[in-house]
Amino acid sequence: MSLEASSSAAAAQGKRKKKENDNLTGYLFILPFLVGFFALTVFPVVMSLYLSFTNYDMLGTPSWIGFANYERMLMDDPKFVQSVKVTLFYVFTAVPFRLVFALAVALLLARLVVMKGMYRTLLYLPSVIGGSVAVSVMWRQLFGNEGALNSILAKLGLPTVSWLGDPAYAIWTLILLYGWQFGSSMLIFLAGLKNIPASYYEAAEVDGAGAWRRFVRITIPLLTPIILFNVVMQTIQGFMAFTPSYIIFEDGRPLNSTLVYVLYMFQRAFTFFDMGYASAMAWLLLLVIGLFTALIFKSSSYWVHYESEGER
Amino acid sequence: MRRRSTLITLAAALMLTFTMSACSNGGGNAGTNNTPTNEGATPAVTNSGKEGAGEGSAGDSEEDITLRLMWWGSQTRHDLTNEVVKLYESKNPHVNIETEFTSFDGYWEKLAAMVAGNNMPDVLQMNFGEYMTQYASKDVLLDMKPFTENGTIDVSKANEGIMASGIANGQLLGIPLGMNALTVIYDEQMLQDAGVAAPDMNWTWDDWKKAAETVYAKTGNYGTQGLEITNIFEYYARQHGQKMYSEDGKGLGFDDKLLAEYLAMTLEQQEKKTYPSMDVIMQHEAIEDQLIVHGKAPFDFRWSNQVVALTKAANRTLKLAPLPGPDSSKGMYLKPSLFFSISKKSKHQEEAAKFIDYFINDVEANKIMMGERGVPITSTIRETLAADLDETNKMIFDYIDRIGENSSPIDSVYPAGASEISKAMEEIHEQVMYKQLTPEEAAAEFRKRAEEIIARGAE
Repeated sequence: MSLEASSSAAAAQGKRKKKENDNLTGYLFILPFLVGFFALTVFPVVMSLYLSFTNYDMLGTPSWIGFANYERMLMDDPKFVQSVKVTLFYVFTAVPFRLVFALAVALLLARLVVMKGMYRTLLYLPSVIGGSVAVSVMWRQLFGNEGALNSILAKLGLPTVSWLGDPAYAIWTLILLYGWQFGSSMLIFLAGLKNIPASYYEAAEVDGAGAWRRFVRITIPLLTPIILFNVVMQTIQGFMAFTPSYIIFEDGRPLNSTLVYVLYMFQRAFTFFDMGYASAMAWLLLLVIGLFTALIFKSSSYWVHYESEGER
Repeated sequence: MRRRSTLITLAAALMLTFTMSACSNGGGNAGTNNTPTNEGATPAVTNSGKEGAGEGSAGDSEEDITLRLMWWGSQTRHDLTNEVVKLYESKNPHVNIETEFTSFDGYWEKLAAMVAGNNMPDVLQMNFGEYMTQYASKDVLLDMKPFTENGTIDVSKANEGIMASGIANGQLLGIPLGMNALTVIYDEQMLQDAGVAAPDMNWTWDDWKKAAETVYAKTGNYGTQGLEITNIFEYYARQHGQKMYSEDGKGLGFDDKLLAEYLAMTLEQQEKKTYPSMDVIMQHEAIEDQLIVHGKAPFDFRWSNQVVALTKAANRTLKLAPLPGPDSSKGMYLKPSLFFSISKKSKHQEEAAKFIDYFINDVEANKIMMGERGVPITSTIRETLAADLDETNKMIFDYIDRIGENSSPIDSVYPAGASEISKAMEEIHEQVMYKQLTPEEAAAEFRKRAEEIIARGAE
């Protein structure tokens, strides 16, 4: 009995020891990631928080100036205000546009019977290449004064428009580009649609519900968790838009009408060597994105429907 | 309980944004790297492991040493410079040169990061104006006066005015590698077809306007390409006896009236349709895209070293004239197209200086480069190269000689934040051309913004 007990205790100890060894091996395996994560992500993030309270031009040493960067940003920088306006407008139009578009395409795809895979791949393609420099260059060609769109308009006898040169239209070409990269949201919607049991629709049909009613009463409510996820992800992405306005409009031209927040931040950091100010902008952006995300989550209790209600 | 769940939601939201931001930041960065900088394609030869090996005392020149050399430029420049570096290495077997090169866009970010990381190259390309001012104020460049005085860098045949441009804070921080000047490039054929006389050394802004209007009236083409405001307005101020910045660098050096007058002039041309509207200008920014290249405008204003690329794209002969007068010789100046500077922390300052001497004085090296960095600064090299020049380069060399005799010294006072001031000028120019501001309002607005930027830089 006692022997048994001691042997089982020894076994337990051995097991524990072995487990510790396992942990060590595990940590060793993720060490490359950990090193990278701390050195390349955590350290710069913490550093940028420090820099946001300094005046730092990258050549000299940072000098502590307290909240001066934040003050200047909020009180005394019309260009900052302009970039905030442009970004908010962009997020509030481009994100809904992309989501509605993605959902519409997903609905069509879900009905498709033949060559599903091919269509899905083709429709996803813009998202893979959409953020790239090449597409931005192509956008310039499409919407340029002598671009494809204007030559079509001219052929049809319609007046041509300077899409990229007119401050009233320029931002819309960016919104269109954002909408066109609907692929990832579409795939997520598609997966969500497939999870809705067909029996619901059948039952509704038997009860005489039309297509619209089925969509509004079954598809949308059951899709709300997916919609929530997409809204959050896309809003975050929308706030961080940079490449297209950098490439298509150089410096946010015309008249700073396409000067999105991150582009202005980039200008401050790397064109004017105002790294402290740019760091402050980055932290404000983080807080604002966090706030918007929290608001969306908070609002979700009013419109998101979970099938297992017990948890709420 | 409710409060707690709110907190958790908030924390989760922050976490999510954090990770999301982190991921997409990576993507964004990759995007920027792919942008014009071309950095990905650059075979940067930084071999930090090698550094330190074979580094001896700076005085003993026969010990094997490694110099690091960095520049920006086009592919042509990369090829030519690498060739010259190879030649230098073969002549000086104890020197190994590691080269790093990018395009202009990525260069300053890279250099700033290197300075911050205490990892500056020994010899580096530097630009006149705000960049030189900025680096001079940080005290990271070496004063090369001792080397020019003891003859390690031979500048006895160099143009004195141009050598002076490398002096900042009383120290010789840059050795100019070439000379440049603003110029009006014109299409003689187009002017002839419209019955307009070609510009000469004494033409004026009125001649320019008349020529542009006649070309527009007779052919329907634009009368001129748009003017890049910062450089051209600086010339305009100089020709009127004023300056871009005041002598002490603490303010602007011109009257609001002058800027308003200049803006009104370009706006008037735009109204008359002889001058392209802003959106047309914006969409023709690459050299190959310029209106003059496609025969859509007879005039183009730019730096003389860009004429090579422009002529190549146009595939026909274009000619050069100084900017319009009156008093163009007061406004015109020779500009150092580029400098080589030495890092103050370089362990091989003398070897670095020897390399620069070779770069500006060696005939063989300059025959390889053929004035790619601007017209060579020493008269001996200019004369030697003259025989082998092609038609375009001969024209540029002649032009620089002519301007050398008809110009005034360059203004080299730039306040900190000059690059932001230039940007502000471009913005108010845009606002005038889009008719959001009148020229007078714009001039006042520019002064306000420029003074704010200068004040901030002085803090």
